[in-house]
Amino acid sequence: MQQTIPESLKISPFMAAFVIVSMQIGIGVLGYQRLISEDAGYDAWISVIMAGLTVNVLVWLMYKICETVNGDVMAANIYAFGKIIGNSINTLFIFYFIMTCLTVLSGLIEVIRTWMFLGMKPAFFASVYLILGIYIVNGGFRTVVGIALFGLVVPAYLLLSFVAPLRFGDLTNLLPILDHTPVQLVKSAYNMTLTYLGYSVLLFIYPFIKEPKKSKKWVHLGLFSTMAFFTALAVITFAYFPIALLQKSIWATLEMWKIVKLPFIERFEYLGLANWALVILPNVAISLWVASRIVKRVYHINQRKAVFVIAAIVLIVVIMLDSRERINTFHDFQAKAGFVLAYLYTPFLYIVLLIKKKVKAK
Amino acid sequence: MNKVRVIIAILLSILLLNGCAQRKVIDDINIGTGIGIDKGGNQLLGSVMIPVFKADKSMENFIFTAEGSIMRDVIAQMQQKASQPILNGSLDIALFEDAVAKDGIVQVLDVFLRDPSVGARVHLAVVDGKAQEVFEGNYGDRGNAQYLKELIEHNMKGGNLPVANLHRFLFDFYQEGKDPYLPYIKKESNELVTIIGVALFKNEKVVDILHENNLFYFKLLVDRFTTGQIKVKEDHGEATVKSITSDTKLKLTKRNPYEITFNIHIQGILSEHQGIRLEKGEVKEVEKALEKQINKTCMQLLEEFQKQEVDPVGLGHFVKTKTRNFNFDKWHNDYQNVTFKVSTNVRILEVGVVE
Repeated sequence: MQQTIPESLKISPFMAAFVIVSMQIGIGVLGYQRLISEDAGYDAWISVIMAGLTVNVLVWLMYKICETVNGDVMAANIYAFGKIIGNSINTLFIFYFIMTCLTVLSGLIEVIRTWMFLGMKPAFFASVYLILGIYIVNGGFRTVVGIALFGLVVPAYLLLSFVAPLRFGDLTNLLPILDHTPVQLVKSAYNMTLTYLGYSVLLFIYPFIKEPKKSKKWVHLGLFSTMAFFTALAVITFAYFPIALLQKSIWATLEMWKIVKLPFIERFEYLGLANWALVILPNVAISLWVASRIVKRVYHINQRKAVFVIAAIVLIVVIMLDSRERINTFHDFQAKAGFVLAYLYTPFLYIVLLIKKKVKAK
Repeated sequence: MNKVRVIIAILLSILLLNGCAQRKVIDDINIGTGIGIDKGGNQLLGSVMIPVFKADKSMENFIFTAEGSIMRDVIAQMQQKASQPILNGSLDIALFEDAVAKDGIVQVLDVFLRDPSVGARVHLAVVDGKAQEVFEGNYGDRGNAQYLKELIEHNMKGGNLPVANLHRFLFDFYQEGKDPYLPYIKKESNELVTIIGVALFKNEKVVDILHENNLFYFKLLVDRFTTGQIKVKEDHGEATVKSITSDTKLKLTKRNPYEITFNIHIQGILSEHQGIRLEKGEVKEVEKALEKQINKTCMQLLEEFQKQEVDPVGLGHFVKTKTRNFNFDKWHNDYQNVTFKVSTNVRILEVGVVE
């Protein structure tokens, strides 16, 4: 049932955390503060923690699913629903990961176009970026993981830049704490779950992890660090912006960089944005890899050929996503699909698997 | 082998074409360092100051002016006059004529907020007189924009001026229960500009000017740290105290009606003293006299703000942070009935190198 992955292609348990975290930190970080403060105001940092904890539960469930079939989610789907239905569900996952790739890429292009180069042609930028993505995927899974590590560690210095806005902020903005109803908090936690998305790649990389049991603690640790990062960034943003101004800011994180001033660079956001291209790279590479991997497993097509076709599709759609409105609609749709997959489909699949296992045991 | 060559050629051409996003070479642009907005009849009169670098390393300023009803229109007209594009990525200062500031400046600031190339540290100031006239002067040898920027910056850092830049202004403006303020400057002569006070805004309009000799107390109330100088009168004559650090804590001591207590702590040094010798215990007296003086003046200021219905201290925001389900509509009435208490604690740490 399960094709075995040669030991030499597997990654160490510790690296699994980098794949998950680098997939979580994408384009959403640049502007999630506005979305979460819409409902719960400046109590939304509590919602960030709430949503972060649910992610840990989901990842625990995902491990359970993979352990049950001792393979990835594609094997689980086939095991639970049979070959035809299982493979149709797997095909849906291809589209989901193509959309993920599109979301980050179109988001990055939009930001670059608004902040740096108004006249930049999306087609050129996207094609160069996708060629890089294909090149990474052709290097194999271990290269993809290497880029994930690279895309997190190199831009990590950007964390320091968030100290500057604190000097101009006012932490009393957060007071009084818990001034909103639980319903508002849950609503904003729902909005936050969309920013956390990306951890579902675990379902696909599971067979590639050496001693998956050992990777659990690293992955959960990684999830906690993303949660800590998102919470801290939300608190800093809430201190820096009064709520009426935050509601106007599409990219709050970028706008906070406007206050940073270094002796050698007048405007820090250009440096930050250029580095963000590196943060986005693992997102594109991993989603291309996952999408092409599913194609290979389901349709038995060579992964190298599949990744070319997928990149071509991404390129065509990116060119079509050319205005704020269209991009927004697309991002909303992708986020909703991600929410359904993570919060509804994962528990559902787990329950079906449990029943199936019991039935088979009899 | 041929295939590989074709692919490499395509890749290279894509890379090269990507380099064709617009470039802005520093020699081919006009760097707008200062922008001024005056009122001309019903229209806005904009002026942009451009530094011109001469071959002998000296600097001059050139000013583009244009008239229009909204800011973008004004800037577009200026571009028609300029031989090279005017860019505002390194804008240092924006000045507003007091008449413009009395009508409201937020619709003007929208240009700065919307344009990602304008930094958040741009200094804003209200001018007694025309902004264009300020730009027409010739100050210092580093250019006008640098002069104006440094004038404001060093007074914020070491003087009595409270910190106010584009971000601070927008922060206070959008913060419910707080009103913004900006430095108020005046052109003294062709070589000098002075800070003569602070312009107090209600919403987006200037309603009052705070005179320069109240700035120390104002900074104590609105800013986090105060490093200014203040003159004290005591029995032996006058003395000046330089504050090193200060800390103002607000306390909501009573509700219905609200009573707010200000606890001000200042640590400073005695920087000047009239009198032949500094007697024993005199430092204590200076401390006491200064405490009394601060209590009295801060109280006056707070009551003055109340009368004018402005809230630069952010009392509305402060009470909100202490109250659940705070109602700002009700606050507007309550603000009139707030009573204040100010208690100050001054510690003079050093008296200089002589006694």
